[in-house]
Amino acid sequence: MKSPITIVFRKELKDALRDKRSVMAAMSYAFFGPLLMAVAFYVLISQLTDDSDVKIDIEGAAHAPAFVEHLERNGVVQRDEAWPAGQQPIVLAIAEGWDESIATAQPAKVTLTADFSSQKQRTDIRRVESAVENYSKQLSYIRLQMRGIDPRITQGVDLVKHDTATKGSKAAILMGSVLIFILLSVFFSGMNVAIDISAGERERNSLELLLSQPLTTHQLVWGKSLAASAFAMFGGLLSAILIPIIFKFLPLHEIGMSVSLAWPMILLIIVLLVPLALLATALQLFVSFRAKSFKEAQTYISLLLMAPMLIVFGVEFAKVKNQVLYYLPLTGQHQALLDIIKGEPLQWVAMGISALTTFVVSILLLKLISRMLSSEKVVFGL
Amino acid sequence: MIEVKSLQKAFGKVTALDGLTFSAPEGQITGLLGPNGAGKTTCLRTIYGLLKADSGEALIDGVDANKDPLAVRRKIGIFPDKFGLYERLTAREQISYFATLHGMEGEAGDAAVAEVLSRLDMNAIADRRATGFSQGQRMKVALAQAIVHRPKHLILDEPSRGLDVMSTRILRDLLRELRDQGTSILFSSHVMQEVAALCDQVVVVAAGKVAAQGTPTELCEQTGESALEEAFVKIIGTDEGIAA
Repeated sequence: MKSPITIVFRKELKDALRDKRSVMAAMSYAFFGPLLMAVAFYVLISQLTDDSDVKIDIEGAAHAPAFVEHLERNGVVQRDEAWPAGQQPIVLAIAEGWDESIATAQPAKVTLTADFSSQKQRTDIRRVESAVENYSKQLSYIRLQMRGIDPRITQGVDLVKHDTATKGSKAAILMGSVLIFILLSVFFSGMNVAIDISAGERERNSLELLLSQPLTTHQLVWGKSLAASAFAMFGGLLSAILIPIIFKFLPLHEIGMSVSLAWPMILLIIVLLVPLALLATALQLFVSFRAKSFKEAQTYISLLLMAPMLIVFGVEFAKVKNQVLYYLPLTGQHQALLDIIKGEPLQWVAMGISALTTFVVSILLLKLISRMLSSEKVVFGL
Repeated sequence: MIEVKSLQKAFGKVTALDGLTFSAPEGQITGLLGPNGAGKTTCLRTIYGLLKADSGEALIDGVDANKDPLAVRRKIGIFPDKFGLYERLTAREQISYFATLHGMEGEAGDAAVAEVLSRLDMNAIADRRATGFSQGQRMKVALAQAIVHRPKHLILDEPSRGLDVMSTRILRDLLRELRDQGTSILFSSHVMQEVAALCDQVVVVAAGKVAAQGTPTELCEQTGESALEEAFVKIIGTDEGIAA
């Protein structure tokens, strides 16, 4: 005889697959999340690598034609068109006494007026500054040489910058935020199914009959949670496969990054997501079996979703470092994924332990739900 | 044989069942008649083990649902107080789901489902999804779910509510047929006509207790009334919550 778990699992899966809303929910998060990220990164990269001329207002250009020519060679040119609305103009004003200052070897006064807090104009301002600094340096070299002094005298320390950041570790910063998408996809993708098979079952008045069938609540809960986990896993699978593919199409090399995930690593990520999918489902079922209706369950679950988001973002941005994080559910998978992306040595034992703790917590939760469903208070809301 | 022995059940301060005792023997239709709130649904839920009695016991063929709920549930078919369908499944799939839960799989399961579908004259809607089913069609699906595994005991909670004449007739014919095959049928109702038309034995429940018991004729004789409705009102002492 087929196990009741299998019967319930197959029925719920068939039911959920016919629910366009559930399928769309599972797909859209896994699909549009990474896509949205890709677009954001694309815009960011094209801003960072913009090598077109910086167009600014240059006042008093007539005083210093050589200086203006130097600026032009460095891609800083006189602006002809108006500034777009909401953008502060960048103005470089050359003082009247330029020639005199040059002739008497005094500092020539140039004023740069701009909104230095503007994110958008930061690179433009930086380029104007460095163009001016360059010219200034050239001037002082010439002045020293004319006086018979070795210009190197001004250089007390020769700082040689040696960047040890690998392309991979630079990418890790970027991928850190993308990882969160992969991790959370298992929480989002199965959500709709989890609500439908618990609070939905109660709302459409089919729970009472189902509970009166010859199967234990334990079997019922397992069948249902496996079906919802399958959906959660489907979303996880989709985003784990899609994200590396999408990143292949981004011109990340232009900002000195490379993200390359070999297929075995993607496979490992997918395996890591399996216990997490079960945990996500168990949590969602635990909450929504208590709810009287679909709407109520949705409210609870959207609050519940804040928890994994807060945990992952918290660890990510507070830069918490503690070995314990490797062993706990959710943070364990997060750390493992970070290591994979950074190309650091993998902690297999820690991965195993976090998978185990995740499974144990899920199983305990499912046990609790089974007990809940045996209680007349919960079932009939007494 | 369904036996209910001095069931006691209270929800907080409200006493739902107060020493309820009756039995529904094989080959008979037993009607549980009572006004709204008399404890009918509570009694039925206790029989199939969804509610736990404070004291007393409910036995199906001598098995207590509180002690061995699965054994009890294998022996019974249930038409519950509220029946919701899975809107995205077809009638056949829903019935088949419950058949497999009762261990009927493969060809035997399919055959049982096909048989119940034609018995209830549902072949036209068998492969349609439940969305858009009429109340009568929904009732048929629920009924088919309850009898597809050919249970020896059938428990129905207000089966005829919201049904049109044709659906009610199908239901009654089916119940009579099953009774003649030896099924013990217990159903609750607050509709007098139905009970009078169908039941071999009536158990009148009021305030969680058995107020009277017997065939419809016996009840009339006991109270000296000619109509069951009058007898009923006399038995429970009020006509509150009763539909003619």
